[in-house]
Amino acid sequence: MATCPGCALLCDDIEVIVENNRIKETKNACRRGAARIKGCINRLEPKIAQKPSDIESAVRKAAEILGNAKSPMLFGWSNSTCEAQVKGIQLAKKLGAIIDDTSSFCQGLLIEKLLQKKFRTCTLEEVRNKADVLVYWGSDAQDSEPRHLSRFSYFPRGESRQRGYEEDRIAIAIDVRESNTAKICKGHFYRIQPKGDREFILALIDALSGKVPAYEPKKILELASILKKAEYGVIFAGIGLTYSIKDDFDILVALADKIPNFHIMPMVGHYNMRGFNENLFKETGFVNRVKFDGKVVHDNRYSIVEALREKSIDALLVAGSDPLSSLPRSLVRHLASIRVICIDPCVTMTSKIATVTIPCAVSGVESGGTAVRMDGKIIELSKIIESDYPTDEELLSRLMGAL
Amino acid sequence: MGIDVGKFLKNPEYEIKITTYRDIFQVEAQECDRFGKDYEKLSACIVMSKNDMAKMGLKPGDRVKVTNNNGSIVVEVRESKRDEPGGVAFMVNSPWSNVLVSEESGGRGIPEFKNITAKISLVKEETTTLESLMEYFRKLQ
Ligand code: SF4
Repeated sequence: MATCPGCALLCDDIEVIVENNRIKETKNACRRGAARIKGCINRLEPKIAQKPSDIESAVRKAAEILGNAKSPMLFGWSNSTCEAQVKGIQLAKKLGAIIDDTSSFCQGLLIEKLLQKKFRTCTLEEVRNKADVLVYWGSDAQDSEPRHLSRFSYFPRGESRQRGYEEDRIAIAIDVRESNTAKICKGHFYRIQPKGDREFILALIDALSGKVPAYEPKKILELASILKKAEYGVIFAGIGLTYSIKDDFDILVALADKIPNFHIMPMVGHYNMRGFNENLFKETGFVNRVKFDGKVVHDNRYSIVEALREKSIDALLVAGSDPLSSLPRSLVRHLASIRVICIDPCVTMTSKIATVTIPCAVSGVESGGTAVRMDGKIIELSKIIESDYPTDEELLSRLMGAL
Repeated sequence: MGIDVGKFLKNPEYEIKITTYRDIFQVEAQECDRFGKDYEKLSACIVMSKNDMAKMGLKPGDRVKVTNNNGSIVVEVRESKRDEPGGVAFMVNSPWSNVLVSEESGGRGIPEFKNITAKISLVKEETTTLESLMEYFRKLQ
């Protein structure tokens, strides 16, 4: 059995059929996972100034760029193993650089609160064994973490939920869009307006406090009554919710306080985003947006978004991410005028404009390591096939050595 | 042959709110080949309610220009299979939708990926390709 590095569920029940060191077929994986395991068709090649080179020269050039930069930033990390992330943090320390990851514009704030123990959370095994009320809030798990409902939450039998979804579990979706997850939550889909989450939470808090909510009273009172009756409830908080309430997480915590049987679990897409958050938290007390400046400085200015907007960085190392594809175009324009180093298994939009590109093995397919599942459990990654590509951890070590 | 007056008339423009979402088929296509035709086809589109499409005189498969202060793209219209009340259109999160997202984040580091306002109008142009999005960056270099 292999572990899938397709998303932060890190499904460890994947059967892979290998023929002549090539992946022929996968069993049990979802479409997203199967595609990740089979790999991309365009592998990255070592290049300097977009001209073919070799890995050793590319690493040396990358070290030269980072060593000479006045304000370097190391970014990405949510598709890297814990071992590579730790190396990345060491590299940032050595360089006095800024380090940030994709959680910075995703679930970082919520994970930081979780690691600070600001709310109750639980494991996915607890969800499977005990949960009877599941709230997918701003989260379309069916498309982002596709086996969430089938492996852990709605469909499976669990110790105290022997009748699964037919009788023992209620799934609820609160979303702007009737997502594929909302489709499954038959009769329990609550449509909200874009940025309407705050209003919805406040109305729900009112209803749970015995007041008549100002907003859609009938529906909100009905939902409050389901939540109150839950024996073991979980709110799966997706980026729809996170983006909408921004840094106003206290209202979510206030809601959780009203329903003591509930737990909150941030839904994480990239397979090891939580790993990076935990590794940086251990080192600095923060999950992202850190500058090593003799001491640890945490500031929103050190987020990838603000650093690009303020044009405050002059070199960027990107590990396992594609900011040119995933960030607003108006923002990533700045990347065209600074030196970018890309470490990735595949050609990306960012690698196409990078000064230096360094190919690495696909972690969890061509190399092993560890990663942190969305609920905090440490999972071993599998090495399924042999590869000549160095791991991202190894490349970062070499880069540090070349400084 | 008469003059095709329609050619000189600008198609009406409508205000539209757009929110982004994830689609497993598009994610699968991205994993396999982010420069491939499948990824482009699954990304360069906008999903709208039947009501909104009727109001704006759009049919499935039409191409529309979606424009705001941040940029402009041409994408294909798809009709939502859901019973949508309208007022909000949906685009899968991609380099296409990111053309329309503002860099402003109020200093918080999180752009408004899911809360885009734009103008939409019917056009005859081809949909924006990933190559042309790349060309934009190459020209800046
Ligand atoms: S749900 Fe996630 S971890 Fe599981 S098979 Fe799909 S992509 Fe892989």
